[in-house]
Amino acid sequence: MNRTPRLVAAATASTLTLALALTGCGRSDEGGSGTADTSTALTDGPATGTVEVWAMGTEGELLPELAEQFEADNPDVTVNVTPVPWESSTEKINTAIATGEVPDVMQVGTTLMSGFVGLDGLAPTPEGIDPDAFFPGAWDTTVVDGTSYGVPWYVESRVLYYRTDLAEKAGVEAPQTWDDLTEFAAGLQDAGADEGIALQTRGNSTALMYLPFYWQAGGEIMNEDGEFTLDNEAQVKALEYYSSFMRDGLAPPVLVEEEKVQNFVDGRLGSFVSGPWERSNLLTTAGDDFAGKFDVVPLPSDETTASFIGGSNLAVLADAANPDAAWKFVQFATDPATQVDWFEISHDLPAAQAAWEDPALADDETVAVYEDVLSTARSTPAIPTWAEIEHEIDLVIEQVIAGDLSPQDAATRIQDAATSIGTGLD
Amino acid sequence: MTVSARRRRTGLAAWGFALPFTLLFAVFLLVPVASSLYMAFTDMRGADLRTPWAVNFVGFANFAEALADPKFQQAAGNTLYFVGVAMPLTLALALLLAVLLNSGLVWFRSVFRVGFYAPVVTSIVAVAVVWRFLLQPDFGLVNSALGAVGVDGPRWLTDETWAMPALIVMATWRNVGYSMVILLAGLQGIPRDVYEASSIDGAGPVRQFWSVTVPLLRPTILFCAVITGIGYLQFFEEPFVMTQGGPLGATNSVAYEIFNQFGFGNYGLSAAMSYVLFVAIVILSYLQFRLLRTEK
Repeated sequence: MNRTPRLVAAATASTLTLALALTGCGRSDEGGSGTADTSTALTDGPATGTVEVWAMGTEGELLPELAEQFEADNPDVTVNVTPVPWESSTEKINTAIATGEVPDVMQVGTTLMSGFVGLDGLAPTPEGIDPDAFFPGAWDTTVVDGTSYGVPWYVESRVLYYRTDLAEKAGVEAPQTWDDLTEFAAGLQDAGADEGIALQTRGNSTALMYLPFYWQAGGEIMNEDGEFTLDNEAQVKALEYYSSFMRDGLAPPVLVEEEKVQNFVDGRLGSFVSGPWERSNLLTTAGDDFAGKFDVVPLPSDETTASFIGGSNLAVLADAANPDAAWKFVQFATDPATQVDWFEISHDLPAAQAAWEDPALADDETVAVYEDVLSTARSTPAIPTWAEIEHEIDLVIEQVIAGDLSPQDAATRIQDAATSIGTGLD
Repeated sequence: MTVSARRRRTGLAAWGFALPFTLLFAVFLLVPVASSLYMAFTDMRGADLRTPWAVNFVGFANFAEALADPKFQQAAGNTLYFVGVAMPLTLALALLLAVLLNSGLVWFRSVFRVGFYAPVVTSIVAVAVVWRFLLQPDFGLVNSALGAVGVDGPRWLTDETWAMPALIVMATWRNVGYSMVILLAGLQGIPRDVYEASSIDGAGPVRQFWSVTVPLLRPTILFCAVITGIGYLQFFEEPFVMTQGGPLGATNSVAYEIFNQFGFGNYGLSAAMSYVLFVAIVILSYLQFRLLRTEK
């Protein structure tokens, strides 16, 4: 889940620095982290022993229900789930990895993988798990520097929420292309909305709302050699397009996130981009009747189709006490049949593609739209420095929207910032 | 028992009494301080957490990088702006309120005392929600009041020029109660007969304030100035909850930048930034001591 606050291990770092044993100063010459690990192979037979699992937020509260099924299938195993609040998760996990007091299995937000891999905290995924069973964008989030360190568990992606009543009144169809979206927003505005669309204009994660447009324009964040490729025509075009909504008065020039949902419910906002969680937000704010007044559609396409993919993976810790049973639990939780059960328990969207053929998902209109979106959705690069690069992109987008920076200069600035920060992989 | 043996035993007993504090101090203060200093001179990153000794010493490179960083420079400028305006404002307001509450002019003195102190002990999260409502551009209380007198209020928190003044007012409101209570205690420590003597000499209230109250209150004002200055140089909570350092970095502070850099895993750089801030605090406190010390 990429909406996790970027929290800090400052205190951890400082206390651990001196608490840990002296192993001699200076970096060793062996480059690369976590590349020499041998992956454990999946074994046959039932799981035994105790499996300690850390899970965050809602997942942490609901996971015991799923764990009971695993315990029923494997009579000799006990699963202990410890819920961890998202806010303190990074700090807690960093501490656990640094001290070696780790659980066996851990839920890891897709954007946090590289950090824990950088600490040599996670074990490589064994051979027996098939990457092709999952959405490609989701599998990519498990891969750091060429090696996979976990299995996609649940996913989320960004779609366009819009007021169907306003669209009908304006006589506009759900947008397919970039030009359509501009016309669509203008139409909703003519039909009575103050603003046709809302796009994030500043602050954390602005980049995550912007990047799908960059991908749609044909841009890539990195090439196959692991170099940043951010200064190009696609970047200029996408920045120009993204900021055109604010410049042309179709979107708030400065979006106040907290007011978005209320404005949408009141009909003052025609559409906005968000993820699957927003549906329950809207229904809580406006009541269940509101479900008839809005719909979701995939983001428009330009050169190609793209959205952002987030969610969480399940990873086994490098220092896990019971890796054998841990991987069995991960295999169980990411199995398509279990994923359908988990969807019914938690409403988390399955990462395993086969799960989407089940009527529970296929016949549910509110989630079916996500299947197509997810098949082309992409993740941000799994590199330890990504949070810092994303922060730079957030700042640059804000300046482009304010008119302080031209899209051309902005593209150069993003590339320069990314290059000087580096990938953080040795 | 010889004298030296007894002395040794007294010495041991003294160390025994001092031991709990010494141990706590060493573990929870000395170790973190020493390790952050160590970090500031190394290229430590988040990924080095497990092997904190396997890093390279880089001398003052982190400090040079921090000082040359435009974001850090902007944050430093913002912090100076904030301290330069908010600190005198807070102290002046606190002194004014303390004098009013002490003069007997105000009824329900304890109600006011609680009222002005309440923001100090209220959670910043609750404060932020209320202030966001107050500063809301279209229907917030502040802009509605301004509109009533014909002034078109700015979009406070999203305006590059007005975001910082809005946070200054908010921080002043949050912190004025603390200095006020301390100053009030100081005022009550001034003997009444000094005032009587000065009024016999023909001094009016204004003259009394400048010639009796302020000089006798000097040590208390110094204390408030130092505490407020230290707190304000570490300006963080207000931008964190209200603006995330924006718009366009206009409310980014040094402490916020340090927080961000720690979050990005740049431990060496952020530790160096912390020590730059530390030096700034030392300099400000030194100036305050020089300026406000009691003349002999």
